[in-house]
Amino acid sequence: MNKLPVFYHPIVELALRLFIGVTFVFASYHKMVEPAHFAKIIYGYYLFPDFSINLLAIGLPYIEFFCGLALIMGVYPRSAALLINMMLAGFIVAISINLIRGHEFDCGCFSFGEPGYTSSARQLLLRNIGYLMMGVYVLFYQHRRILCVRQSGSFLKDLSIS
Amino acid sequence: MPYKSIAKEVVILAVISLATAFGVNWVSPKGIAFVGQWDTAQGVITAKAKNDMVAHELELDDIIMVKNIYDHQQAIFVDARSQEDFREGHIRGAVSLPIGEFESRIDQFKASYPLSQYIVAYCSGRECDDSHELAQRLFEHGYADVSVFIDGYPAWMAEGFPIE
Repeated sequence: MNKLPVFYHPIVELALRLFIGVTFVFASYHKMVEPAHFAKIIYGYYLFPDFSINLLAIGLPYIEFFCGLALIMGVYPRSAALLINMMLAGFIVAISINLIRGHEFDCGCFSFGEPGYTSSARQLLLRNIGYLMMGVYVLFYQHRRILCVRQSGSFLKDLSIS
Repeated sequence: MPYKSIAKEVVILAVISLATAFGVNWVSPKGIAFVGQWDTAQGVITAKAKNDMVAHELELDDIIMVKNIYDHQQAIFVDARSQEDFREGHIRGAVSLPIGEFESRIDQFKASYPLSQYIVAYCSGRECDDSHELAQRLFEHGYADVSVFIDGYPAWMAEGFPIE
């Protein structure tokens, strides 16, 4: 383990995995308790058909939450990272399309105008690209993971709590 | 990469997540309908939450009719937008009652306007439901006659109607 380059050190993998996990658990909280507000944010991208907006607003926060939790607990880390990366890639594409066409949602509503509540599209894009890079690292990490209960592969085969 | 195992795990994570999501949405007082109302042609957009403030029957969607109410001074116009937006421009003669400052301002408002007063609430258009929330909170405080001008300040200004 010590012969691995620092970039592939299990501590680096653990740190990134926990960082993404905690970030997604926290990020999902407000969306879970205020689904109507999250639905309006999805509507604000002007990219999704009307019938899909509420379904996305109901489902996505819980996928974020359980994938984040899975990363923290070290359960199915590759699969959780895969789902998180797919969501991040989707966000990145959606934000990019709106940046290219110069659209930024502003309904003039009180809940969207609170200081610190919303970020600019550019900030969101950069942040999500950073998360995606970390997520790709966790997904393709090939060495032994520490504090990881279940790796992908045979059931409990890679039990490797150190 | 153990693709088969990963596919199975993805399905497990997705099923747990979605089952929990729809279960919680079913019991939560803040749960939303499976399909919302996202067509501005039909009125103010809404996710149709169980605690939804949007009541389409209060909506005035004909700006000429609203102008008629304004011209005949049949109602006071109440602006639900922030104080900052109000300062930048509002319907001439409108009263500011920002939804974010409702509790601190409602007593003063009630002292100035009787409960029988006809009120037209507005904000910034059909993507904004603050005027609906204002209407509901005014009802809670005893006002009986409140309508919502759903096209709000941007449409009023675009028509060249009186602003200040």
